Amino acid sequence: MTAKIDDFLSRELPGVTRPGRYLGIEVNARRKPLESGRVNCCLIYPDVYEIGMSNLGLSILYEVINDRTDSMADRAYLPWVDMQERMREKGIPLFGLESRQPLGAFDLVGITLQHELTYANVVRILKLAQLPLMSREREGGHPLVVGGGPGAFNPEPLAELFDFLVLGEGEEVIGEIIEDLKQWKYMEHEDREGFLEGCASIPGVYVPSMYEVAYRDDGSLDSIRPRAGAPYPVRKRVVADLNEVYGPRVPLVPLVESVHDRCSVEIFRGCTRGCRFCQAGMIYRPVRERGENILRDWAWEMVGATGCDELSLTSLNSSDYSRITPLCDRLSRELAESHVAISLPSLRTDTFSVQLASRLRRVKRTGLTFAPETGSARLRATINKGVSEEDLLRTISAAYQEGWRRVKLYFMVGLPGESEEDVEKICVVVHRILREGDEGRPAKGLRLMVSVSTFVPKPHTPFQWVKQMSMPEIARRHFILKQGLRTRRVTTRWHTREMSYLEGVLSRGDRRLLPVIIAAASEGCLDNWNEMFSWERWRGAMEGSCLDPAWYVERERYRQEVLPWDHLHSGVEKDFLWEEYMKAGRGEATPDCRWDTCTSCGACSSDMVEISLAKEE
Amino acid sequence: MKRLLLKYEKKGYAGFLSHRETIRLLDRALRRSGIPIVFTSGYSPRPRMTFSPALPLGVEAEAEYLEVAVEGDIDTAEAGKGLNRALPTGLRVWEVQALPPGMPKLSKWARYGLYTVRDGDGEELLLLPLSGEKQGKLGDALEKMAVFRGGPLEKSDVVRKGLYASRFEVFEEIEGPVFLYDGESGDLKRIEGE
Repeated sequence: MTAKIDDFLSRELPGVTRPGRYLGIEVNARRKPLESGRVNCCLIYPDVYEIGMSNLGLSILYEVINDRTDSMADRAYLPWVDMQERMREKGIPLFGLESRQPLGAFDLVGITLQHELTYANVVRILKLAQLPLMSREREGGHPLVVGGGPGAFNPEPLAELFDFLVLGEGEEVIGEIIEDLKQWKYMEHEDREGFLEGCASIPGVYVPSMYEVAYRDDGSLDSIRPRAGAPYPVRKRVVADLNEVYGPRVPLVPLVESVHDRCSVEIFRGCTRGCRFCQAGMIYRPVRERGENILRDWAWEMVGATGCDELSLTSLNSSDYSRITPLCDRLSRELAESHVAISLPSLRTDTFSVQLASRLRRVKRTGLTFAPETGSARLRATINKGVSEEDLLRTISAAYQEGWRRVKLYFMVGLPGESEEDVEKICVVVHRILREGDEGRPAKGLRLMVSVSTFVPKPHTPFQWVKQMSMPEIARRHFILKQGLRTRRVTTRWHTREMSYLEGVLSRGDRRLLPVIIAAASEGCLDNWNEMFSWERWRGAMEGSCLDPAWYVERERYRQEVLPWDHLHSGVEKDFLWEEYMKAGRGEATPDCRWDTCTSCGACSSDMVEISLAKEE
Repeated sequence: MKRLLLKYEKKGYAGFLSHRETIRLLDRALRRSGIPIVFTSGYSPRPRMTFSPALPLGVEAEAEYLEVAVEGDIDTAEAGKGLNRALPTGLRVWEVQALPPGMPKLSKWARYGLYTVRDGDGEELLLLPLSGEKQGKLGDALEKMAVFRGGPLEKSDVVRKGLYASRFEVFEEIEGPVFLYDGESGDLKRIEGE
């Protein structure tokens, strides 16, 4: 098969766009061969190479799996449509880029679920791989199809495609899975169902076939019943001490420039700011910081291993890291000699963050981005974003003083309880920044890039019960902003309304959506690419299954309603989320437990996992 | 400040890396190699380097060149090894040479490309001016050659053998006839050395 695939590639590569996506000759690629005595894994990002290569989770797993002597990991991404076409025509199954072996030759095929708009791609991947689509159709030596990533916290629309999914952090649980799989492989894949039932006893592993979902006449869920032996709920995995596990230390160097073309040092996990719309802020709790010295050594190791020119200190909110100033000072001083720039992708809106960014400008002037989310003080209280308009102005003034002339601002429309006046406030704030952004004086030469996204309620957040705004209402809001921000000093970027609507259908969807996704995938894919997306295709697929998208998107859930993800536990208790939802309605703030008292969200109570902050070393 | 001239090949799957992608990978490899490279100034500093004329996507090459500014003394053998450890399969540095002062710049001398074109069982040589008035495109030259040969020729059947300052320099290394393509007039003719 390898020879056949090689032959296919040399014949077809000259005719496809960006052939660099399909070569598999990256620097630092491990290129371990598949062996019968090993657990052979293929890690898949269900989008094109440039997006997939930037994913931190998969690069961590790639290293962990390849570091073991009893396992290997190869990689695959969804080929662009021109390549898909040629593969189908020539009967070439999707293959691991390094080994050039078809997916069917692996023991485990791991697919990360990062975004709802990649769900049709998952179906495409399995079809291109010529694997039976549904878990129940696979047997014996077929690879185990395993899911993970944030989407695993409500994988229900795709659940029946997966043999199992992993909730939470993968670097420890993958070892346990490999051990079990090794045994099963030794037993010549006897009793696949029994094996999967055994996997369900690994903490964090969710086997969808072991749960029975029943529906009511009104369409809502009646119950999710576990079969004997299946845990209820399935609790996510959390790594207690992130100083014990960190990576990737020797990351792959992408051949085709990826969307985030830089090395990442993950300085901490979790965020307890408590923004009520933010799923990442809920499911990655608690906050666990890595030690300063480990981060410094790790940074150097990666620069040496990749020759990268930019190093990113990543987390959900990097200015929150307890030792951020000393870490940045030290790294920027040391790395400047090697002409490596340091970037902080997510900064708090305050003058401290501006000072921090200024310190990092030794090598390269990077952009500044802030996320005020809304222009209205009332809505800020609703979403628990403790940043006032004055804070924002002070921050921008500081940035202006420091010489920045381009600032990016993220806003959201369609927030719960949002009126059109609230949206107009975004225009007011933006104009005020232009007028007063230089310490009260007009900020001459300042240009703002305003990015507007649509709020989509996500599972495991305080807003998991709310109705999402309809497309005409969002269109009306976009119109208000377009009118109000018409000045050449402001550039605007809009999220496509239909894409956000589809995201809304799938994010809180249930198992009945699978036929819809399969139908939509049969006619298209790569939905997060504007030139590929078609709402018509999805609406047709919904109609074909007699399902109403508005029922999923524009419906307020009631408190007692069984939610499709009720059997999956992120650590944060449902009661806490409800309480937060109620506080949102009252505009009440919830403080950050990093500095304030414990909010009893539940994330710290299990598995000896608790908040841990870096100390001076 | 000194100049280093690197000669490298781009073979196999690496032939499918675009010019831009190749530059990026060489940039990374230079940073990793430990060679004391000189960086450009400005907002985003890059190694100060120049490349031989862009190779079309899908074409392999036996001898491509890269010139990079360096500081201090260089062990050229070690530099080559360091670079090869940091390059993907298919990109391979064969020679690292410290240029004496006064040597012409890469852009001044790399003016002609010599290509082998696989054609059935045999192969033909094609000489293509890469700069100046007679500058031609490989695709156009192949089309003309195809008419001559009576069958289509693909870029994947082409390997760039080397770069030369003049057509006369070519014949110092090879004998026998070469197709010369004139990009200005679109003429293709067969020429031989003296």
